[in-house]
Amino acid sequence: MDSPMSGRASIRLTINGTAMELGCPPERILLDLLREDLNLTGTKRGCDLGTCGCCTVLLDGRPVLSCLTLARLAIGHDVTTIEGVTPATGLSPLQKAFVEHGATQCGFCTPGFIMTGTALLRDHPDASREEIERAISGNLCRCTGYLKIVEAIQAVGKETP
Amino acid sequence: MHLDPFELHRPTSVEETVALAGRLAPKFDYLAGGTDLLPNYKMRLNTRPNLIALEDVSELRGVSLDRVGAMTRLADLEAHGGFRSAYPGVLEAVVEVATPLVRASGTLGGNLLVETRCFFFNQSFPWRESLGFCLKADGDRCHVVPQKEKCYATFSGDLAPSLSVLDAEVEVAGPDGRRRVPVTTMYDAAGDGIQRHHLKPGELLVAVHFPPAARTLRATYRKLRVRPSFDFPELGVAAAARLTADGTIDHLALSVGGTETFPKRFDELTGPLVGSRPTLPRVRELAAEVQKRVRPVHNTFLAADYRKKMTGVFVRRAVGQVLGIGEGRP
Repeated sequence: MDSPMSGRASIRLTINGTAMELGCPPERILLDLLREDLNLTGTKRGCDLGTCGCCTVLLDGRPVLSCLTLARLAIGHDVTTIEGVTPATGLSPLQKAFVEHGATQCGFCTPGFIMTGTALLRDHPDASREEIERAISGNLCRCTGYLKIVEAIQAVGKETP
Repeated sequence: MHLDPFELHRPTSVEETVALAGRLAPKFDYLAGGTDLLPNYKMRLNTRPNLIALEDVSELRGVSLDRVGAMTRLADLEAHGGFRSAYPGVLEAVVEVATPLVRASGTLGGNLLVETRCFFFNQSFPWRESLGFCLKADGDRCHVVPQKEKCYATFSGDLAPSLSVLDAEVEVAGPDGRRRVPVTTMYDAAGDGIQRHHLKPGELLVAVHFPPAARTLRATYRKLRVRPSFDFPELGVAAAARLTADGTIDHLALSVGGTETFPKRFDELTGPLVGSRPTLPRVRELAAEVQKRVRPVHNTFLAADYRKKMTGVFVRRAVGQVLGIGEGRP
């Protein structure tokens, strides 16, 4: 049955594997909740309108735009942010590859690319160059020209047995 | 950008949704994938105090060759092998919608009812306030065609033209029960541009239905845009055809989006070609006539006369391709 949600009623969310309960009005956007309420500032606010992909997080493993997701619609789903794919010490294989290939310059778009790339390599470890280009076509980078980013993702894909 | 407060409703059945809509009308919006609605809400464009999220209404899901639920995510449609091979022309349109990240949330129903777009509408509140609001949001005049009291915002969905040429129908649920509406006639061609379709207040898009004949058609979709990613169509041309065994045209349909306030079919031009053998001169004649009849205005990124010219080019290529007589260059 419908029960309209308003006010700051608290919700339960699973973020980076940790279940948490927090106050959240209906109009709260997931990106704002992550950055402002939980201080998970690795997820970046770029255009805030769905164009740039800087705010990409995984919802049940699927890359989505957190700037266009109502936090309350993430109830019951697993949210993974860039903090969640970064090991406690060191870097993930894809993060390492970004460093080694010079795939990051100013770094602002990098968390979004890592999230999209991580999901792509999980489902298609042997993704072709064209598949990689298509997969990251919703993530904008204004520094690198994309070549190094594609190479970094492809390098990790090749390493995977 | 934070959103203005609203109440969020999460019904679980079509009946519950429609009853709720009846109670809240007109002070609500349906929330499907949110990739069109939420950017507009962030820009304070026609916000309402209630959102009815369709996320939990299971009847709105499901993909088969006869029926696709309105809440089907475009990414799921893309990944559905059976659908992909049955309707490659629709898939051409699906993969051209925005970006993979938008398609991960964006839905079939949402794309069919995507808000029309205009330079003077898709702007922030302060931008619009400084110029003077337009009649599509908060104001009473059109900045594009000031002498008219009509909205010229451009229809910017990719899927409507490609579903129209297959003669697909939408199933709609409302206070008076359910009905079917052809995609071709669901949009309001004669209206004021503000009321964009013939759905009644509170009516809900449940599913898209495909007639068996849709699977016998060869179809394609061509999209004009500035960047090969994200951008809305500056022009979208869908064509579908079937030839008889002896090579004459048995069926031909053409729909053009991105040029006016609704996707436009040209049955009066394609109909006379049925029964004839496809020839390049006749395809060129058809393309020239369609180009003459579309009326884009300068309210999107590319100039209106360029979009008009490209309509002829795209129609020639799309129709040539589905009739199998070349000129099908990308």
